Amino acid sequence: MKLGFYPRLAADGIRKNRRMYLPYILTCVGMVMMFYIILYLAVSPSLDAVKGADTLREIFALGSWVIAVFSAIFLFYTNSFLMRRRKKEFGLYNILGMGKGNIARILLWETVWTAILSIGFGLFAGIALSKLAELGLVNVMRGEVTFDLTVSHVSIVRTAEVFGVIFVLLLLNSIRQVRFASAVSLLRSENAGEKPPRGNLLLGAAGLLLLAAAYTLAVSIKNPLAALLWFFVAVLMVIIGTYLVIIAGSVLFCRLLQRKKSYYYQASHFVSVSSMVYRMKRNGAGLASICVLATMVLVMISSTTCLYFGEEASVSQRYPRELSLTATFTDERDSSADPVKPLREAIESIAESRGAELSDVCDYRYLNVSGAFLPDGEVETDADRLDSFSASTLGNVTAFCFIPLADYNAMTGENRALEDGQALIYAYRTSFDGDTLTFKRGLSLRIAGTADNFPGSGSAAMDVVPTVFLVVPDLYDAMEQLVEGMSEETEQYLVMRWLFQFDTGLNAEGQQALCKELRAKLREGGEQLIHFEGVTVGAIECRELERDEIFGLFGSLFYLGVILSIVFILAAVLIIYYKQISEGYEDQARFDIMRKVGMTKREIRKSINSQLLTVFFLPLLLAALHICFAFPIIEKLLRLFGLNNVSLFALTTALSAAVFALFYAAVYRLTSNAYYNIVSGAREAG
Amino acid sequence: MSILEVKNLRKVYSSRLGGNRVEALRDVSFTVERGEYVAIMGESGSGKTTLLNILAALDKPTGGTVLLDGKDLKEVREAAVASFRRDNLGFVFQDFNLLDTFTLEDNIYLPLVLAGKRYEEMRGRLTPIAARLEISDLLKKYPYEVSGGQKQRAAVARAMITDPKLLLADEPTGALDSRASDELLRLFAEINARGQTIVMVTHSVKAASSAGRVLFIKDGEVFHQLYRGNDTDELLYQKISDTLTLIATGGRRQ
Ligand SMILES: Nc1ncnc2c1ncn2[C@@H]1O[C@H](COP(=O)(O)OP(=O)(O)OP(=O)(O)O)[C@@H](O)[C@H]1O
Ligand SMILES: [Mg+2]
Repeated sequence: MKLGFYPRLAADGIRKNRRMYLPYILTCVGMVMMFYIILYLAVSPSLDAVKGADTLREIFALGSWVIAVFSAIFLFYTNSFLMRRRKKEFGLYNILGMGKGNIARILLWETVWTAILSIGFGLFAGIALSKLAELGLVNVMRGEVTFDLTVSHVSIVRTAEVFGVIFVLLLLNSIRQVRFASAVSLLRSENAGEKPPRGNLLLGAAGLLLLAAAYTLAVSIKNPLAALLWFFVAVLMVIIGTYLVIIAGSVLFCRLLQRKKSYYYQASHFVSVSSMVYRMKRNGAGLASICVLATMVLVMISSTTCLYFGEEASVSQRYPRELSLTATFTDERDSSADPVKPLREAIESIAESRGAELSDVCDYRYLNVSGAFLPDGEVETDADRLDSFSASTLGNVTAFCFIPLADYNAMTGENRALEDGQALIYAYRTSFDGDTLTFKRGLSLRIAGTADNFPGSGSAAMDVVPTVFLVVPDLYDAMEQLVEGMSEETEQYLVMRWLFQFDTGLNAEGQQALCKELRAKLREGGEQLIHFEGVTVGAIECRELERDEIFGLFGSLFYLGVILSIVFILAAVLIIYYKQISEGYEDQARFDIMRKVGMTKREIRKSINSQLLTVFFLPLLLAALHICFAFPIIEKLLRLFGLNNVSLFALTTALSAAVFALFYAAVYRLTSNAYYNIVSGAREAG
Repeated sequence: MSILEVKNLRKVYSSRLGGNRVEALRDVSFTVERGEYVAIMGESGSGKTTLLNILAALDKPTGGTVLLDGKDLKEVREAAVASFRRDNLGFVFQDFNLLDTFTLEDNIYLPLVLAGKRYEEMRGRLTPIAARLEISDLLKKYPYEVSGGQKQRAAVARAMITDPKLLLADEPTGALDSRASDELLRLFAEINARGQTIVMVTHSVKAASSAGRVLFIKDGEVFHQLYRGNDTDELLYQKISDTLTLIATGGRRQ
């Protein structure tokens, strides 16, 4: 097949610049591949059998968009390196009489070739590796392995569409750059040094402020709910702040160094400082990107591994007993009979008919009300009177759970006594050290002691806010006093409940079967519903059944975390590669000149090292700082997933940071060698 | 003792594939005495830059020896070559070789910085040279912001600032207008009068006529040389022109 003039010229251009184009195309191939694999996993039929497949699908669909957005940003970044190199060539074409329109046509064909190559090879690699990825996922999710290779047409089409759009955007951007530049400025674009961005100091100060604000936010938040709300704000602030601070900071820093004559005019600093000033904007953006990527990788890996490996702990916190049942009941206070007795007996007889032996039984009535501690130390329970969006309110929201003394004594085997207006307290994930606990709507309790043996409850562990358990002499009294000043709207949430949790001594299947039978017989809408007067059965949960859901969630988050980390690490490595290699070629001539002027090889080595050390370890240090400040907020977020294990999280964070640093050091060695070979390989003679 | 002794220098370039061999220098011998001002002339491609590069230890000869101040360049260790060059030689390159990343000032300081000199000392040395070369106002600019002639003057300043034993200059007036090149030649003559040894390659008869001796290179050998003796610049100019005509018409030396 004979190619037209422009397609051929474009293909030549790519071939001649392959040192720059090859990594670019490989990047594109990698991104296409990852995108396809994630999309494929989201629809793959062989995952149907895996536990929690639905959760997994949703998470992966979301993950594919993260990769798409990231690819777009990242390809724009790498493409700018290419364009910088190509501009000189285009300037020459322009001077030799080629119009901007013709250059645009070359660009068009170059994009077409790149797109065909990347999408083609990317899909090929994606299809080839999708089975491997699937096996890995099935393994992580502890599912059944199947060995048939499938291809998802939907995913192929979607991948081609998404990357088609990205390439069109890249093309438009390149054309824009060529269009608005004169031939001479195109020719010179590689030589000209970069001017510092305007308003540099202001930008830097803004960046510092953003970082400081984000850090304060991250350490000051005490409550998981607020953490969830503010986390993304903090992330955005940190990203923008990092860019501003590094870009403005590196410029300022180099300027200061340059001004300090006794430092600047030293053989080992002279060259590195001046070449950093020369490329300050590019340097800053590159370093900031590396820093942000490193931070994201560390956050993702540490938190998802923590979830994955803390899964069992999380499940047993959320479901402290094998089976758990709650019911609401309406009851006159004067009736002396236990209102839930018939229901309890029904459950026991069903359980026994399946061979279960009830143990570790947790059986109590309770009353839940949520409120917020006001600055004066009293509790407001009326939602209408709370400014529900202010951070201080959010931080002080607490769940209050009232339990009758009789049930507490029966359950724990203790024999405590309380007078009217007294209470025992058990503060879960919070603390209370006053003598009296006053509710604004009319209930005041003197604290008579702590309810040390209270077993807690799974829902409190799961709750995003802390819980204060209050053992009171009489539930009805408490309720009446609480209701007094409440609006009717709030009042209707005030319902008496009953919790019944127990272990069965059955195996997993037995527990699940028992749970299903209970649901069928006791819950509204069940096929064999038995009715109990004044009692409505709510949730009936079985640890073994719920575990699959949690596992689906944590497993897929873990897997996605690993995949995204790989993508981000690849991106960081490529940024470093582009930075060092492309600068290596630019610097080749420079070091050759310096050699001619009298720089020894040792001096060249030294100056390269001092330059690379800053380039590599500045972002890593800043990323480590980010992680330190992110730690408390992420630790709170993990609580939302029922994970309450700070030491495990500290361990996974430290491990991921160590592994990442090792890997990073390896990349540093490789790149610094490659760079040295390039700059010193110009002409060894001399 | 001569400051520079060149004996039977030979340089053969062979292309990477080993096929094409260019004999840039066949058999070049000459000496330069301390304090001399020597111009080297020859047609384009006659091997002048090659010769100068070998003198500056930037390139290795295929055969023959170069003694600088009695020291054989072959015996300078590979690792010490760069610092040897920095301490003993100043070089004005035909293509300037200024660094984009440095201002003109920093470009000029480069060899001194590498030698570990203090800023105040460097500054003190630069001020008079910059004034002579009329680049005092341009010192803070970057090479891509100044003209070719201005770059050349910065390159000259860089070569002179180390007070080298031997100043090598490849076409130092190539990019200058006649006023600027007159000024540069006067500067060379003046530092030569103060004892600086200079070897300069040039195409310009005018430039060559300011030197004390002119070497002509043809076909990789020293074809002829002219001494100034007591001649004026004008008379030397005339002699050089005649010799060049002789070379151009293909005559052989008697
Ligand atoms: N690196 C090289 N490899 C191969 N051949 C070379 C190399 N450098 C120079 N030559 C050849 O050696 C010969 C002498 O080159 P040189 O640069 O010394 O000439 P010149 O006298 O300085 O010319 P001009 O006056 O144009 O600067 C030329 O034929 C040139 O093509
Ligand atoms: Mg030459």
